[in-house]
Amino acid sequence: MTSTTVPAGTRRRTEARSAFPDRVRGALQDTATITWRDMVRTARQPEMLTFAVIMGVFFLLLFNYVFGGAIGAGTGVDYIQFVVPGVLVITALQGAQQTGTGLATDLSQGVTNRFRSLPMNQGAVIAGRTVADAARNLVGLVLVAIVGVLMGFRFASAAGAIAAIVLTVAVGFAFSWLSAAIAAKVRNPEMVGMLSMFWLFPLMLASSAFAPPESMPGWLQGFATHQPISVASNSVRALADGTAAGGEVLYALAWIVGMLVVLVPLSARLYRRSS
Amino acid sequence: MVMLSTQDRFPAFTPPRAVIEAVGLRKSYGDTIAVRDLGFTVGAGKILGLLGPNGAGKTTTVNMLTTLLPMDGGTARVAGFDVATEPRAVRRMIGLAGQSAAVDELLTARENLRLFGRLYRIPGPELHQRADALIEQFRMTDFADRPVKTYSGGQRRRLDVVAALVASPPALFLDEPTAGLDPRSRVELWEAIEDLAAAGAAIVLTTQYLEEADRLADDIVMIDEGAVVAAGTPNELKRQLERDVLEIHVETAADLDRALSLVAAIAGVTSNAATNEIHIPIGNGTASSLDILRRIDDAAVSITDFQLRRPTLDDVFLTLTGPTAEPASGGPR
Repeated sequence: MTSTTVPAGTRRRTEARSAFPDRVRGALQDTATITWRDMVRTARQPEMLTFAVIMGVFFLLLFNYVFGGAIGAGTGVDYIQFVVPGVLVITALQGAQQTGTGLATDLSQGVTNRFRSLPMNQGAVIAGRTVADAARNLVGLVLVAIVGVLMGFRFASAAGAIAAIVLTVAVGFAFSWLSAAIAAKVRNPEMVGMLSMFWLFPLMLASSAFAPPESMPGWLQGFATHQPISVASNSVRALADGTAAGGEVLYALAWIVGMLVVLVPLSARLYRRSS
Repeated sequence: MVMLSTQDRFPAFTPPRAVIEAVGLRKSYGDTIAVRDLGFTVGAGKILGLLGPNGAGKTTTVNMLTTLLPMDGGTARVAGFDVATEPRAVRRMIGLAGQSAAVDELLTARENLRLFGRLYRIPGPELHQRADALIEQFRMTDFADRPVKTYSGGQRRRLDVVAALVASPPALFLDEPTAGLDPRSRVELWEAIEDLAAAGAAIVLTTQYLEEADRLADDIVMIDEGAVVAAGTPNELKRQLERDVLEIHVETAADLDRALSLVAAIAGVTSNAATNEIHIPIGNGTASSLDILRRIDDAAVSITDFQLRRPTLDDVFLTLTGPTAEPASGGPR
């Protein structure tokens, strides 16, 4: 395509192929553009954020005041210190679930076709959304953490608080890509919402988020100890309490990196294929 | 379209060649053939009307040409780039609007234009100017800073089309851009589309409305069930298909059946069982229409009314795209 003549009226450049750094810069720029779009949408339609915060506060109240006495007495732990980090991780998980419903809603409407017809990096449609959802999660998590503090929860240090929140956002980010992969495959928003129950509830309840797994039956303990939500809850707890040993946090980071390595290319491929 | 070999030696010279070229396009979904052997060219400043009923393959064709859907066969080039092998380059050269592409409901018109412009990689300051200019040019100032979900149908469709123009692409694909619009909004959008062609864009316009194709298109390709049934300029088509139509109203359904059996040999006969009406195209003027009436009358069919009339474009359309019968123009779907 060296001698292609572009008709009058176009101002676009026609270089045959942009160099690698240009493509990376373009992909980042497109991701930033889509992030902006999705953040504006969140600001105009804050129901998702409100819902996530209300769910988080609801879990705090429910578990602390309804089950907290029983669980705390049974295990001898200070339950509010135990449950707030777990609720933070679950709040991030709920936020990640909304990535999928949002993407599926886009996919079922014409705006995705417009994106596909543009000379943009197509992966940016998902990447921008996961970044915007991570930002939304950050806001929600800070609000839930504040309610936790009002209920008597204490961070050992400011640095610990920041580290705990950042790790929680990162966990949510990784699960956003899981949610996006499902949405790219299924495309129907209702179906995506329904399917999310299948990963959300087992990960949420068979975990150390609300109760120590030691009280669970043996066959469940292995899963409940090593699945990402438990690992994340334990790490966030340790960071918040200031008792973090490197190993726990590394385990959580390994889960996050592992999920991203598998899910980022997978969801990008599923998105490109679903037309 | 003429291809000038001088373009290689004089790269600054832009020869009059097709901006959009499609040859032998094919697409099937399982056993269903959506598009078969479809081909056309569109030059700069020209509008091609792709005309056909629902499910004829119009949107499938647009989606293939805009890289949204892989082709099963055939080749297509847009602004010199191969749609199958250079989709990225093609996407820089096209704007898509209408049924297939929407805008963001929660953003305003101005924000939508900036969003899509940024994704076309237009630099910031230039993009803001461009968005403002488009808003003014297409008289969207009154509502440009309100979220799209508050728009009327006409306002939204206008934004749909304008969103395809942000990067001033040389090729535009407008997929039923006026579907569902009130007459006034439709005429306004027609004027906008004419302006775009006058500014040099090559436009593929799909529509179900003959009136629209007649008014806007330089060339018309009529398709049905994925295949071309007629092609040419609006005038050529009308001349080629111009036939008088004999409209006969009969008394009963039995009369209708009997009359239909008498004229079964004539190509292009349509009927409407709801109104007991038969439309018969007449090849050689009134002599044979008298013949037909006499034959039907002799068979003791009770004729309540008849008239001979010049065809409307709807007749042409129905003759070419309909199976054999119903509904007559204006009848129920």
